[in-house]
Amino acid sequence: MTAALTHPITRFIARRLLYSLVVLAGVLVAVFALVHLVPGDPVRIALGTRYSPEAYSALRSASGLDRPIVEQFFGYLASAFTGDLGVSFRNGDPVTVTLLERLPATVSLGVVGIFIAMVIALPAGIFSALREGRISDAIVRITSQFGVSIPDFWLGILLIALFATTLGWLPTSGYRPLLEDPAGWLRHIVLPALTVGLVAAAIMTRYVRSAVLEVASMGYVRTARSKGLPPRVVTFRHTVRNALVPVLTITGIQLATILGGVIVVEVVFAWPGLGRLVYNAVAARDYPVIQGAVLLIATLFLVINLIVDVLYAVVDPRIRLA
Amino acid sequence: MTKPAVLAAVGVVVAVVAALSGCSTGSRVDLGDDSSSNLVAAIAGEPDQLDPQKTSAYFSFEVLENVFDTLVQPDANLEMQPALAESWEVSPDQLAWTFHLRRGVTFHDGSPFTADDVVYSYRRIIDQKLANADKFSAVTGVTAPDQSTVRITLKQPTPNLLTNLGGFKGVAIVSRRNVESGQIATHPVGTGPFVFASQKSGDSITLKANSAYWAGAPKVSGVTFRFISEPSTALSALQAGEIDWTDSIPPQRVASLKSDDSLTLAATPSNDYWYLALNEARPPWNDVRVRQAIGYAIDRDAIVQATSYGTAVANQLAIPKGNPWYTPYDGYRHDIENAKRLLAEAGVAPKTLDMLVTTEYPETVTAAQIIADNLAPLGITVNIRTVDFATWLDEQNNGHFDMLMMGWLGNIDPDDFYYAQHHTDGSSNAQKFSNREVDRLLDAGRVETNRNARGDDYAKAATLIADEASYIYLYNPSVIQAWSKRLSGYEARRDGAVRFSTATLTAGGAT
Repeated sequence: MTAALTHPITRFIARRLLYSLVVLAGVLVAVFALVHLVPGDPVRIALGTRYSPEAYSALRSASGLDRPIVEQFFGYLASAFTGDLGVSFRNGDPVTVTLLERLPATVSLGVVGIFIAMVIALPAGIFSALREGRISDAIVRITSQFGVSIPDFWLGILLIALFATTLGWLPTSGYRPLLEDPAGWLRHIVLPALTVGLVAAAIMTRYVRSAVLEVASMGYVRTARSKGLPPRVVTFRHTVRNALVPVLTITGIQLATILGGVIVVEVVFAWPGLGRLVYNAVAARDYPVIQGAVLLIATLFLVINLIVDVLYAVVDPRIRLA
Repeated sequence: MTKPAVLAAVGVVVAVVAALSGCSTGSRVDLGDDSSSNLVAAIAGEPDQLDPQKTSAYFSFEVLENVFDTLVQPDANLEMQPALAESWEVSPDQLAWTFHLRRGVTFHDGSPFTADDVVYSYRRIIDQKLANADKFSAVTGVTAPDQSTVRITLKQPTPNLLTNLGGFKGVAIVSRRNVESGQIATHPVGTGPFVFASQKSGDSITLKANSAYWAGAPKVSGVTFRFISEPSTALSALQAGEIDWTDSIPPQRVASLKSDDSLTLAATPSNDYWYLALNEARPPWNDVRVRQAIGYAIDRDAIVQATSYGTAVANQLAIPKGNPWYTPYDGYRHDIENAKRLLAEAGVAPKTLDMLVTTEYPETVTAAQIIADNLAPLGITVNIRTVDFATWLDEQNNGHFDMLMMGWLGNIDPDDFYYAQHHTDGSSNAQKFSNREVDRLLDAGRVETNRNARGDDYAKAATLIADEASYIYLYNPSVIQAWSKRLSGYEARRDGAVRFSTATLTAGGAT
């Protein structure tokens, strides 16, 4: 037990979690200030064009928006610590419940999307780097440049037209929870995950390629080669393994980006993820939902960063966590 | 090693797709035994909340139209017909209306519908000053002499009381228990043809047929409203048989869909309208000649083409042809010379015009570009200010604009069209228009019980509003909906109300 607690990784994680709390508190202050500073009044929007001063003040006090902002903030902070992120201005739904309902769709899309991206980008990037300057390298680079330039909504609409409308293999849109309907989950996730995955793959291929090239130009790789080690050993043990550290970083960033909400892909595939929730909440100035979602997304970022940092040590034992 | 890896990656993707297409267990929402007669409709966004008296979102009303009832309701020609009230009479002095309620109606939770529910529903709107309280501005009392009678007393004759009480579901009869439990915004309980069953955040809302519905049980077992905001996806889903109905349709596809035999397309002219308003609190727009000059300079046909691909109908007044309150008017033709002459007469040469538009309504952004082009020959540079709707409402409210473009939706009675927008004391008169004669006519129209005299009042008011360029009316959009050949017994309505109570689905077709 004590051994486990004093293990460098455990200590490292504990310390990072503590930092994370500080970061989250900062995020909370920033987002609270920001949503209240941005022009636009949630009460005015809720009333739409059918506005009257009486209706306005009635709804404003019902939403608690007539209280001093400092009082609103500390009230929010106190309940946030207990996991209660307040209720939506728009429908009175508890924000925590809504976020937890949206989270599985977002995490599914992120994990499957990044898996597709890695399955493509790792081999393609390594292949391209090893064949630097040849025709096949140029083909990979041009293809990935093409992939980076494609607008994701266009790619999504194209995939729907091909796989759903024309071939009828997959549904056009929608989402099924993994635990309720695994086959339905898989059928519905393929096209949106392919869309985010292909775009991320294009970006990641370029990173993998340059990381491998950089390591390949290192002295120890030249030494290994001159020692007469077989090319395969040099490539995978000396080059690729060391190139994985920067690749991990970019993978983490890509995953965090997808988890933060890929609004365009969510809109095209009617995917019930966090991105559309935040977008709609911002449009309606639904402060509790915006704050809750930003808090959740910030938490996801921190968790992924933590996992990536731990993985560094696994990939490269020279990296010390302590 | 590496080349096979690439191939393997491609292979994995292809294999997954192929395997999945093999295990097709039906892409429609699985609702158990009777799923074949569950109607799947795609609407373009998620309802903000499900309290009919509090929401102002069209997406909410598309769902709630099927869950709630009003005392009276508009038929396809927008004439008011009995609903929860079977009959009514008006006192000779027009100041008291007595409604006789339908007996044996129950709420979805099984509790009986009584006169107390009507009193509670209306008092809630009036006492809590909800957004629709203006519908009750002439009401002095709502009482229940017995369990099946409701008496409404008025401070002045109100010829459009029926429209106010039943024009849309914003004045629906709600259940007191549902409201007081705080459930109504998420689990609404009504008396309508369908019962709220469940909502999946960001995905869909499912309703079940109300077998005890007073007008007869619906013929479909339920309705699932999916939220598909990307129109090309919704159309693909319709063509793939995943959904049966949608109003999320790319306007540029309407022309080609009309000749598509695999689905039914309806483009019904609506009573909605889009307009420009110039801020009369800011010179030189306070000069009627300057406003008229703008009216002559704009090219309505070009705006209609750009915003709707020709599916809308250009109009110089609010109400379209075919409506009982239609007034012919053709004062403004596209005429740049006339516009220049009017500006010269007014002795002003505005250099810039701050035009406020919002991404929430993309037609305003598109139209602004045409308008900027139209006004260039007058030497006016239009600064298009594109903001989100929250900011737009703030700027409108604070009078921070020279000109804005907006739409007015869901109109039935002319009082809906004119009073709030053009009366000096109107709550939506952001352009600060004030004309004594218009005020007099709008006040008179509110209390005039003779239909012809009332029609004359509004025809005169409408003409003056256009002559004085309080609004520069642009066009009436169409209600555009498409549905599969499996669906029958459904009609697209001019007021945009989506009612599935009489819809039928034939078996087969979609998987």
